[in-house]
Amino acid sequence: MPSYNLYMGCSVPANYPNYETSLFRVADKFGIELIYMEGVSCCGSPNLRAIDYMGWLIVNARTLAVAEKNGHDIVTPCNGCFGSLKDVYHFLIHNADYREKVNAELKKTGVEFKGTIKPRHFIEALYNDIGIDEIKKKITKPLDGVGIAIHYGCHLLRPKDVTEFKPEIFEALIRVTGASVVEYPLWKQCCGATVLPVNEELAIRLARDKLKSMKEAGAVFTTVSCPACGNQLDLQQLGLKESYGEEYNLPVLFITQILGLAMGMGDDEVGLEMNRVPADPILKHLSG
Amino acid sequence: MTETEEKADPPAVMIEPIDISKLDPDFREGIRSMPNGEELSACFACSTCTAACPIANTWKYKPHQLIRMILLGMREEVLSSEEIWLCLTCFECQERCPQNVRVTDIFFDCKNLAAEESMIPDSIVGLAKELLDKGQLYVVTADWEREDMDLEPEVPGLSTEEFKAILKGTRTGRIVGGDE
Repeated sequence: MPSYNLYMGCSVPANYPNYETSLFRVADKFGIELIYMEGVSCCGSPNLRAIDYMGWLIVNARTLAVAEKNGHDIVTPCNGCFGSLKDVYHFLIHNADYREKVNAELKKTGVEFKGTIKPRHFIEALYNDIGIDEIKKKITKPLDGVGIAIHYGCHLLRPKDVTEFKPEIFEALIRVTGASVVEYPLWKQCCGATVLPVNEELAIRLARDKLKSMKEAGAVFTTVSCPACGNQLDLQQLGLKESYGEEYNLPVLFITQILGLAMGMGDDEVGLEMNRVPADPILKHLSG
Repeated sequence: MTETEEKADPPAVMIEPIDISKLDPDFREGIRSMPNGEELSACFACSTCTAACPIANTWKYKPHQLIRMILLGMREEVLSSEEIWLCLTCFECQERCPQNVRVTDIFFDCKNLAAEESMIPDSIVGLAKELLDKGQLYVVTADWEREDMDLEPEVPGLSTEEFKAILKGTRTGRIVGGDE
């Protein structure tokens, strides 16, 4: 069974241990080995890319180079980390002059970027390396008839020549649980997390647009594959009560929590009590 | 159409006149030589990027205008604009550009040029400081929460020293250092 270098980034371990634990439990079901990477930390986020392109290239190239030592691909549960690592990977593969500059810096830390392993989002690895047929065999508590809206997240999908991620992957992982995918007009739109530091009001408006679009299309709950998007859609629902006087009551679950529940895991095993908007609809369905 | 006695006011000025003496003819080439800036001059101003942007309706300068301003050499206006910092980095503009102009990437280039001239919003300088001090954006504080979830209280393998050392030697170090 496959082994991967696990790049956690900073947000999941600090803010969403429910995502981390459900990730491990789902991986375990398929005998996937996840090896925490040694000696790495943050990807820097788009904020670092904005102010210090070279620094952003070097720290992410270093992470890739560390993974090259054991030869396993990197998987990450965070769209932001995935976006940074994949963009740097893609850029350095196609720009020899920058690759040289970056490697000159990395030499001081004893590693070299060669581009021999790929950074991947965990759900893409699950879909391509395990496959829907194998996943289907483990579904013991199907979510038949539950309408789920997928928030894919910008940095999972775009730029598509860089991310190489197909939205169908996410949809297949939801459909395999027996749930139906609720299509909604703003499915491609940003959750607003990135502008939170510079304009909170705008960030809240964007979260609202998203939630409204999902709710109006009939979603019972929504799923994400990113801690920043999860935070934005889940936590901001509390804020929206104050700022707009609106209640959405739309539970936001990480994809591994949904897969875990459909594989028969208990709500405590996937850490459901940490999700801010109570996930009652799905629990009612599972116990009913 | 109804005729009125009164004459209409002269049309409001839609666009501020551009002061040609302030244009920087090297700006366009500067951006073109930056990461993913090559396709810049392929822009034919169709404004699909602006139609794709979920927040352009709140911007003074729309994405297609910013690209045009770069091509014209309006360096000062672009680099001091708040729009480049409000960019969601959602890549919708870039994905839909029929000319393959990497619009979002180009706004990243603009922010890097602005950063080199210390024109960075305070909140982003704050984040740079956090990155340099802590070596990550988020730090585990509630380790009991992790233990509750059957996880190691500290993230296995995490080391922030190398990250901090790298950024100390790049622009982040200069931005934060210059502040102290």
